[in-house]
Amino acid sequence: MPTISFFQKDFEELLGRTVPPEQLESWLPLVKGELKDVTQATGEIRVELQDSNRPDLWSVEGIARQIRLKLQESPPAYPFLNAKAKPKRRILVAEGLEQVRPYVAACTATGYTVTEESLAQLIQVQEKLADLYGHKRKTVSVGLYRLPRIHFPVTYGLVKPTEARFTPLGLSEKLTLQEILTVHPKGIEYGSILADQPLLPLLWDTEGQILSFPPIINSQDIGQVHAGDSDLLVEVTGTDMRMVLLTLNIFATNLADRGAVIEPIEVQYPYDTGWGKSIRTPCDISAVQKIPLKAIESALGLPIDADLAQQTLRAYGYEVKASRHTLAVRLPHYRNDLMHPVDVAEDVAISRGYDSFVPVMPAQFTVGSLSALEMMSDYIREHMVGQGFQEIFSNILLSHEELVERMRLPEDEQVVEVDNVMSQSFSCLRSWIVPSLLRVETASPRAFYPHRLFEIGEVAIPDSGQELGSRTAVRLAIVIAHPHANFSEVHTCLDVLMFYLVKDYELEPLSHGSFLDGRAGTILSQGQTVGLIGELHPEVLENWGISVPISVVELDVDWLCADSP
Amino acid sequence: MQTTAVYDSLHPLEINLLAAFSQSADKPVSDSSLQELSQLEPSQVSMALGWLQAKKLVRIHSEITTAWVGLTEVGHRYLADGSPPEWIIRTCKKGAEEGRSFTVKELQSLNTFPPTDLSRAFGLLKKEGAIALAAGGRIEPTETPSPTVEKLRELLHELRKSRQELLSFSPDQQTLLRQYAVKRGSAQEPFRIEERIQREYAPTKTGKAVAKRCHAGSVEEVSQLTPDMLKDGSWRNKRFRKYTITLRPPRVAPGRRHPYREFLDLVKHKLVGMGFQEMRGPLVETEFWDMDALYMPQFHPARAIHDVYFVKTPTHAKAVTEPFLSQVAATHETGGSTGSSGWGYRYDKERARRLILRSQGTAVSARTLASNPLIPGKYFSMARCFRYDQVDATHATDFFQIEGIVLGEEINFRTLLGLLTIFAKEMAQAQESKFFPAYFPFTEPSVELHVRHPKLGWMELGGAGLFRPEVTQPLGVTVPVIAWGLGLDRMAMVALGIHDIRELFSVDLEKVRTLRGRFA
Repeated sequence: MPTISFFQKDFEELLGRTVPPEQLESWLPLVKGELKDVTQATGEIRVELQDSNRPDLWSVEGIARQIRLKLQESPPAYPFLNAKAKPKRRILVAEGLEQVRPYVAACTATGYTVTEESLAQLIQVQEKLADLYGHKRKTVSVGLYRLPRIHFPVTYGLVKPTEARFTPLGLSEKLTLQEILTVHPKGIEYGSILADQPLLPLLWDTEGQILSFPPIINSQDIGQVHAGDSDLLVEVTGTDMRMVLLTLNIFATNLADRGAVIEPIEVQYPYDTGWGKSIRTPCDISAVQKIPLKAIESALGLPIDADLAQQTLRAYGYEVKASRHTLAVRLPHYRNDLMHPVDVAEDVAISRGYDSFVPVMPAQFTVGSLSALEMMSDYIREHMVGQGFQEIFSNILLSHEELVERMRLPEDEQVVEVDNVMSQSFSCLRSWIVPSLLRVETASPRAFYPHRLFEIGEVAIPDSGQELGSRTAVRLAIVIAHPHANFSEVHTCLDVLMFYLVKDYELEPLSHGSFLDGRAGTILSQGQTVGLIGELHPEVLENWGISVPISVVELDVDWLCADSP
Repeated sequence: MQTTAVYDSLHPLEINLLAAFSQSADKPVSDSSLQELSQLEPSQVSMALGWLQAKKLVRIHSEITTAWVGLTEVGHRYLADGSPPEWIIRTCKKGAEEGRSFTVKELQSLNTFPPTDLSRAFGLLKKEGAIALAAGGRIEPTETPSPTVEKLRELLHELRKSRQELLSFSPDQQTLLRQYAVKRGSAQEPFRIEERIQREYAPTKTGKAVAKRCHAGSVEEVSQLTPDMLKDGSWRNKRFRKYTITLRPPRVAPGRRHPYREFLDLVKHKLVGMGFQEMRGPLVETEFWDMDALYMPQFHPARAIHDVYFVKTPTHAKAVTEPFLSQVAATHETGGSTGSSGWGYRYDKERARRLILRSQGTAVSARTLASNPLIPGKYFSMARCFRYDQVDATHATDFFQIEGIVLGEEINFRTLLGLLTIFAKEMAQAQESKFFPAYFPFTEPSVELHVRHPKLGWMELGGAGLFRPEVTQPLGVTVPVIAWGLGLDRMAMVALGIHDIRELFSVDLEKVRTLRGRFA
């Protein structure tokens, strides 16, 4: 989740009071924030925000707002939401955009002179929202412009890639949209969003000046805001109407909190948006919901007076009307994360403070137990320790080479492989444990001998008969390595183990690439194959760079539990 | 050390040798005399002298280097057949009696001496006048005897039985011996001169004190009690050598649990003690159980952050069990019958079947919820999980998540905090804990648990929350459910003194054998 940085002075101005650093930290639970660091010299503060459903908090304005609400105990008014007058400015959406990037929302912000600091904050929010909330601009992207240069109405339309030319941010010459996609760094980074589109989205004003090529790049002329500018246009485009509206609402509210006057813009669509064809933005996006007080009480585990609940939620930004058993609530316009009454319950808890709840010990009686598989594993582990073996605990992602080639298994040996490989060394789930123990042997020629190792753990066995295409099994592997290690020594270990497991078994000669011919066997119990035993083939040892003989056992553990009581 | 203690730690060989010194009135004694006095083998004497010197009971008093001379194989042959000059005179005289004379070449063909030895012999004999060269290069013996031939014969005879000290010969003889002795590059010489170092040893001050107590053969001392001694009772007449017990013993590698597993075992038993039942799940999971069932929308950024490993083949599970698939799908789209608004997008049932490596232990909890769990019920799992992360000191390729759920009518936010308080005490011995609001896609409210560990100070111990109804209801559970997860690896690492998470799964056997720590 995002980490944002801001300056203490800016934060204090937004909050309307001075803030000692330890005070800030005590407020951060209100925004699910964690203080990462404070640079005393510059007053720079870095905070990590945890809640991916609260993009309104990913800015200094949002953090200050949530804390200010708590201090003032009631939400401020945002008059632009309820302005009666018809908007002065319009954006006209052209046909065909529903196939490309259907939605746009915009507003103007005037009367607030942007400073270096607030500009840095505006850009930070713009980036965090487009990147994390907007899926790297795919769902949502934001543009800021110098309002005085723009002649309304603005058109949001489609053009051929070679038809329009303008000077994009960061360059000094005019390029076609086609050229921007192939040459400009942002075109290269975000071009895939518009891949295979014959026509590309563009914003231009009534005089034909190009504002931007969303979601790729703004124009150098109109689309570059400087410190000192005091009249701005904020525009959001995207593929999800609700997210587009929410993003604009967050921006409008942030600017309003800094003192700007927000004026809505009317957007006219030729197609339906789910919100009508003509929409005035910013706007309220949440409906009033009736939440039974009982739902909150039972979630939090304590009785809550309706008035207290109302007061608590208002101090967290909600619009609330309480009756005896119900709360009629509406989220503030910069939030869109109320899906269920439990969301309101959490906000009540956060607003009250988690510290104010007295923990209650769960009292209902339950019986604890380990699974049969775990108990069997523990029994075998204890036994193997008694036989003088060191337990090994391995990572279970290995390379194909370790699992198959080095073990002299046929190339088409089935193992569960990862598709999006990060490193060849960790590209497969192990299908047996012996290779894990050989990794230890390869790494440990200087550890004094004998080496007597064992591991019990999970493996994944490809199995097309299974719903998941594989099954997870628990196995025991034993490795004995020293200058005189042989079949008989490991056979003795197996024999003693089987004796105490009260299991009859026999060995059947086995021809297997990993083992010396005539010195390997299948372990059978009541006709069922339950494991392998043998002396490793010298070529296997060479493949692993091991220079002592090794004898091994690999035994299934699952079957040992199958018939246990 | 006191003389008694020193004496008690002595080996019988050492006692014998000290007794020999004592017999010689503590005067310096050569090793050959020690051999005679102690009646020990040369190797035993040198061994015991080594030990006694190491214990500072005996020191080297003096070192004398002496030269000894003896016959080589060549010397023994000269003794039998005559030296080259002797042979030349004999052959020539015999020839003269028969009226024959020889050239140098002819003489060379009659014997096996190396040509260089012969030419040296000719030179010598000519110089001493024992031979003369006549016309045609023929050699004629004179009446003059060769003194060297005589002297050589005497020396060969003198040394035929044993080596002798070089200095016991006259200066004249010494010169001759050196002249005819084996040198580098000339192996065919009759004599060999060897330098020998003779050392004399003397007891140190402590050595003298201890030696007073030593009498050769006074006690029969043994190092090992044997079954025979017990059978015939002969142990009664024996003295058992005392050991130097302060030395470190030899090292062995015992059978042993893995230290990190040992830690997890402790956690596991604590959880069982608190009434939790173990649950298990598959390593290869569907996106459905790993994420969809946990109400993480298929488009959500938390899901992109949650980078997972996808399985290559097969890519998809055959099916996801109904009615869970449909109920979860409806919940994501519209909230279904959960009272939620849902995420409001088109749920992709195909994607639900996509196979991945389990990315979070909560997947196991989801499967348990869908399997008619006990109510009230408590479950835990220690699930191996995988994340698509670069491996470094804080990220292993795969790791364990300790997670669980608590189901029951009594479950709410306050009992959640109660449970976390117990965890703080049981898992971290913490008397103080703090709760912070947190975010997990599948719980609401969500809590982060911070505790004051007695050694580590304030630390985050885990995260928890009440499962959203969007998680529990589609899986058929109607009571509230706590979901919790504990982050205990840091405690394990501190207890084991390691700083890199990869070392929890070390392949270095020496490290595994020596890694230890107390998990209180």
